[in-house]
Amino acid sequence: MADTTTRAKLRWGLLDAIVVVFALVPVLWIMSLSFKTPATLTDGKFIPQEWTLDNYRTIFQTDQFVRALVNSIGIALIATVIAVVLGAMAAYAISRLDFPGKRLLVGVSLLIAMFPQVSLVSPLFEIERQLGLFDTWPGLILPYITFALPLAIYTLSAFFKQIPWDLEKAAKMDGATQAQAFRRVIAPLAAPGLFTTAILVFIFCWNDFLFAITLTSTERARTVPVALSFFTGESQFEDPTGAICAAAVVITIPIILFVLFFQRRIVSGLTSGAVKG
Amino acid sequence: MSDPDKARRRRRPRVRAVAAAAALTLVAPMAAACGSGGDGGTPTINLYYPPEQNLQKVVDDCNAQAQGRYKIVYRVLPRQADDQRVQMVRRLAAQDTGMDVLGLDVTWTQEFASADWIREWTGQDRAEVEQGTLAGPLETARYSDKLYGAPKNTNVQLLWYRKDLVPQPPKTWDQMISAAQELKQQGKPYRVLTMGAQYEGLVVLYNTLAESAGGKILSDDGKQAVMDAGTVRALEQLQRFATSGVTSPSFSNATEDPVRLEFQSGDGAFQVNWPFVYPAMQEADPELAKKVGWARVPGVDENTPSKVTIGGINMAVSAYSKHPEESFEAARCIRNEKNQKFSAVNDGVPPTIEKVYDDPEMAEAYPMKDTILEELKEPAVRPLTPAYQSISTVMSAILSPPSAIRPEQTADELRDAIADALESKGVLP
Amino acid sequence: MSVNATPAGAEVAAEETADRATAPTRRAGRGRKAPLSENKRAERRLGWLLCAPAALVMLLVTAYPIIYSVWLSLQRYDLRFPAEREFVGLENYVTVLTNEFWWTAFGVTALITVVTVAVELVLGMGLALIMHRTLVGRGLVRTSALIPYGIVTVVAAFSWRYAWTPGTGYLANLFSDGAPLTERASSLAIIMLAEIWKTTPFMALLLMAGLALVPEDLLKAASTDGATSWQRFTKVMLPVMKPAILVALLFRTLDAFRVFDNIFVLTAGGNETSSVSMLAYNNLIRGLNLGIGSTMSVLIFLAVAIIAFVFVKLFGTAAPGSDDGERR
Repeated sequence: MADTTTRAKLRWGLLDAIVVVFALVPVLWIMSLSFKTPATLTDGKFIPQEWTLDNYRTIFQTDQFVRALVNSIGIALIATVIAVVLGAMAAYAISRLDFPGKRLLVGVSLLIAMFPQVSLVSPLFEIERQLGLFDTWPGLILPYITFALPLAIYTLSAFFKQIPWDLEKAAKMDGATQAQAFRRVIAPLAAPGLFTTAILVFIFCWNDFLFAITLTSTERARTVPVALSFFTGESQFEDPTGAICAAAVVITIPIILFVLFFQRRIVSGLTSGAVKG
Repeated sequence: MSDPDKARRRRRPRVRAVAAAAALTLVAPMAAACGSGGDGGTPTINLYYPPEQNLQKVVDDCNAQAQGRYKIVYRVLPRQADDQRVQMVRRLAAQDTGMDVLGLDVTWTQEFASADWIREWTGQDRAEVEQGTLAGPLETARYSDKLYGAPKNTNVQLLWYRKDLVPQPPKTWDQMISAAQELKQQGKPYRVLTMGAQYEGLVVLYNTLAESAGGKILSDDGKQAVMDAGTVRALEQLQRFATSGVTSPSFSNATEDPVRLEFQSGDGAFQVNWPFVYPAMQEADPELAKKVGWARVPGVDENTPSKVTIGGINMAVSAYSKHPEESFEAARCIRNEKNQKFSAVNDGVPPTIEKVYDDPEMAEAYPMKDTILEELKEPAVRPLTPAYQSISTVMSAILSPPSAIRPEQTADELRDAIADALESKGVLP
Repeated sequence: MSVNATPAGAEVAAEETADRATAPTRRAGRGRKAPLSENKRAERRLGWLLCAPAALVMLLVTAYPIIYSVWLSLQRYDLRFPAEREFVGLENYVTVLTNEFWWTAFGVTALITVVTVAVELVLGMGLALIMHRTLVGRGLVRTSALIPYGIVTVVAAFSWRYAWTPGTGYLANLFSDGAPLTERASSLAIIMLAEIWKTTPFMALLLMAGLALVPEDLLKAASTDGATSWQRFTKVMLPVMKPAILVALLFRTLDAFRVFDNIFVLTAGGNETSSVSMLAYNNLIRGLNLGIGSTMSVLIFLAVAIIAFVFVKLFGTAAPGSDDGERR
């Protein structure tokens, strides 16, 4: 009996190892490239023979990258905050209130989640050009909010449904004001859901490439994923491989931190609706 | 999870993040405003130009000459022509005021002019640009009889051949093919190397053949697809060449640099390519370089000299520039006689001002200057139309691979595709 | 990027089930009071008020542009010929639908969609089983699997690109002596590999949600009855998981159909590897042809609508928004 469990454990361990390797190799590879010196960049070895931080120094000295990083962070944060606030309002209404048009809103959100974003590229390009929103922060924040909202609404309403709202009433009976009841009882219960939703929405905005490449043209609003594909080398004859890899690693860091610290939350956020009807 | 204290602690950073984000929104537009150069003091002229190693020295020289009237800043465009164009196009479509002077490939000038993105050259500026500039390059800068660009440099391919194998450079493509076939029979290096991949290089080759055969791809006003008998003969010539057994096996995949390298490796007897191959060869294999001569690219008919497609760059001023006057002046300075000579000697780009070719310094840096000048005086210009980008894309797709050309049928296909492109019905792949 | 929007779909199914389950009781409870009491009206107003901003933004940024793009698609509108803007009816549709490039791109997109979704379903099921049932290192596996899900697609695409570039890459040196990204078949294979790597974990997460619904005692019972593990999988697990599988399939199919980032970085559409999204982008940004670009936008929208419709029709009650049973 003990023997079979050890064997089973070994078997699962092997499968785990395959998954881990499969998932991590491309990430480790680009990290490895980012630490290679120009001389060893083309040696095709998985582990750098000579280590250097030069690529990182280079990108942080170029305006191109720093501006793009500021844009990426700023745009993703603002879009996340707005999407979570608007989403929380709608999710509260959906999970707590009864009003006509509720199902319609849910349906519309579903449609938008499935919407082919590329269909918006031509009209948005033209509309934003006319409104002067092209190549500005709001010009990207708006579509990001739109496509993050369905995600925010569904995740949040699944969370809100679990909150025992009766506690609020109980607190008020104990003499707390409405505001106090909300702050002391409801907000702490809702916070984890909001936080998880915020992470998911942030990852979504952080990831976008299609809108960023069509609706921006300069460092003014260009985000890092797009800036990566516009990097030019130090000289005419040099490919900026090292710099691209270093920049790629920098924008992967937040994702890795999220995943490391909030794995449980992200998994529950992504699966909550499906599991807890 | 439900510990209120924990929740409160966690909430704080978020508030701070919101505040930081709000602050960023306020700062961002200001930062952007600074970028485009304030109106007070010396205006900054942003020059967007393809990478050219010593152009910064030219820019410095012009800045010194300007004595504080303006300051040019050289912003290097990406290396690939397509990327250069896309970058400028998106910004102009957004009416970006941060671009002043643009270095446009000769084939984009009409497109940018038609879209009202660049300013017409008029008055004194125009007179100065037209003065002494070669007619061919100047023609590439015109659109509906107005001047939209100042040619800074031109470019033209030459025939490079092995003097030790070929006593006399061939006058026509057919002569070249038979000479190569003969060499092949003798077991000597015989290949005729040139660019045949599905890209602009193939269009350049076909345009050279078509113009040399007296053909017309477009009508003179650039509004109709013609594809006359001459262009069909050019198709026959291209097909004959591709199937003659003297091309490189990788002809249908070859671009400039691989062609140069293949010739350098000693396999070729002939090479049709841009002048940059010569200094490169001198550096890589000086022995071989001594055996290599140059001549005008062969023609299609024995008694009609060839017309060779020209490339190069025109300087244009953005319609959204806030300092148009200074921009015109700056553009003129960068392409003036002295600076064209500097760029020709240091970066190897052929000048557009005829007089520069007579300069004694040129003879050393540019031994093939007479042949280049000869070709430039009877040039082939690629179709002048705002839709060139689409036309070129569909042409290279239809012409590729050249060995599969069926002249009459291919000409019909080209005519239809070009007509569609001219009516904005061309679909890009 | 769009990957992240899809979980919403999984939830919708549950959402609406829950909705239906609670609504009647609530309505019944309220029925006792006078209809449209002050309270109820206030509740309605509050509900609308709270939903209005979200609804407004979503409509403004999707509905209006899509209508506008229908309008643009009926015109000759080329930024290079601003003076020649005119109404041309359905001409652009004829142009695109009779164009070889469009159908090539359509074929490429369809191929990528079918192959990647099929492979992801198999791999995703395996990964879901591992994440759900592994006896050791569950946290580690889940954390690692989330990395492809979270990573910026462009970053992953660059990693694959360099891995397959001769000279630079460990994979190119290992597997081939040519340049795999310059040939059509190998380029497409690499694009699909990159897509599968990136989205399998997401598929697995959706399937894991379904897996969690499989009652443990049912499995035990089957086991004591002498069922093999394969029988347990097909006879017990799959039927319970069916709704989750269909939701996952629908969302991954629609998502795969939008493939853009990977192609942009890996081949930029060279050697006939453009997807329809890539083609629309090229005609808009490189070609500056708003008429043709918008026509493609509308056609892609229609294609996606048709796929969604077919899914709902084919799988009927099991599709999102209409499944009632099994969830609880």
